Amino acid sequence: MRRRAQPWLGTLVEISADSDDGAIDAAFAEVALVHRLMSFHDPASEVSRLNTAAAGVLIAVHAHTWQVLRLAEEVDSASQGMFNVACAPQLVAWDYLPPVADDVPQLQPAQSVYRCEADNTVRKLRPGWIDLGGIAKGYAVDLAVQALRRAGTANGCVNAGGDLRTLGSQDWPVAVRDPGAPQRPSRRLWLRDEALATSASYFSGRRHAGRQVSALLDGRDGRALEAPVSVSVRAPLCAAADALTKVVFASGDPGHPALAQWQATAFII
Amino acid sequence: MRYQLVLPLTATLACTPALATQYLTADQAQKLMFPDATAFRPQELALTLPQMQQVEKLAGLAARSVNWRVVAAYRDETLLGYMVLDEVIGKFELISYAVGLNPDATVRQVEILVYRESHGGEVRLPAWRRQFAGKSVTGGGLAVADGIACISGATLSCTHITDGVRRIAAIASVALRK
Repeated sequence: MRRRAQPWLGTLVEISADSDDGAIDAAFAEVALVHRLMSFHDPASEVSRLNTAAAGVLIAVHAHTWQVLRLAEEVDSASQGMFNVACAPQLVAWDYLPPVADDVPQLQPAQSVYRCEADNTVRKLRPGWIDLGGIAKGYAVDLAVQALRRAGTANGCVNAGGDLRTLGSQDWPVAVRDPGAPQRPSRRLWLRDEALATSASYFSGRRHAGRQVSALLDGRDGRALEAPVSVSVRAPLCAAADALTKVVFASGDPGHPALAQWQATAFII
Repeated sequence: MRYQLVLPLTATLACTPALATQYLTADQAQKLMFPDATAFRPQELALTLPQMQQVEKLAGLAARSVNWRVVAAYRDETLLGYMVLDEVIGKFELISYAVGLNPDATVRQVEILVYRESHGGEVRLPAWRRQFAGKSVTGGGLAVADGIACISGATLSCTHITDGVRRIAAIASVALRK
């Protein structure tokens, strides 16, 4: 079993696979592609193009970007806005993200900033900034797993900073960090050919201007989610698992009805 | 149910070793980055004060150190590029990594060599760091805690690694570029 790790998507991406370095290189290349397309920080990314576009403009994007934006719309809709990628202005205000421009758009959670249209195009609807940090890691994991499979890997695991998916008929032992002592594993479980994503604020939570803030937000109002718990979602697709952790976190409901739409289950520690 | 849940006792948790993974040795990393190389020549790089000031200007970060561990990769007498080794320390994690660079100082690849977490504050203690450094040099000896293949949890930012890569790219541009 080979294990390698590279820094992508603002975190460490770890790939374990019973294959050669060529297969792992191909999987990292997919992660790098997602990084390039969807980085909030990179002015050349498609997300930056969308963020700086004027209202009304129709933008052609890569199929991967379109897929992620479409899934974000679907999870947003299935959760009545608890998952909302347009909260970036709030994350900029709290210094989690750098400003795209001097003129920070006002956060209007009830109003969509974009709409996916036909043939991999996206319409910018109103001024606003989106950040795909809550879903792109999961999508990158899915692409990397597909790349491993194409290269003939029988068993593998791709882990992008806690959002992971296993490949093959082997059961993978997975530990979830203890939210009260993140350096320690808490719950252990076995995954076979499925994904597990976890969200919590124990690494990102801090004080900003006298208030407790976190990189996790309730998409309905931009409020920081700071409960001292972690939410894990297991599902066939890591992109869905990644996004759905925020729905369960915001709702506090590990049986939220949106989970079923992506064959997902959740638990809170 | 296809999975098992095991809720360990607090007593056993306290004995769980800190999470540590050795991904690659420096030798493995250089072969991965430069598969066509026929020779690897370690060289000690010592930055001059003006070079350090230039690095700070380019990277927007303190140059941090005068001495850097560099390996030059050659195919016969042709320079293929460099690998620079570095370590960064986070809130409770210590990461050693390698940056592969082309002769023109552009980054070609970044590989994590060793990732190690501590239970708490000991990551900043010199003794703890020495133990880690020894392991990373000799290779082997580090294992994933408790047979766990993957860890799921909140995303841990790797800003200190991306800063480190930026610093090394600046160093290469100032002191190694051909």
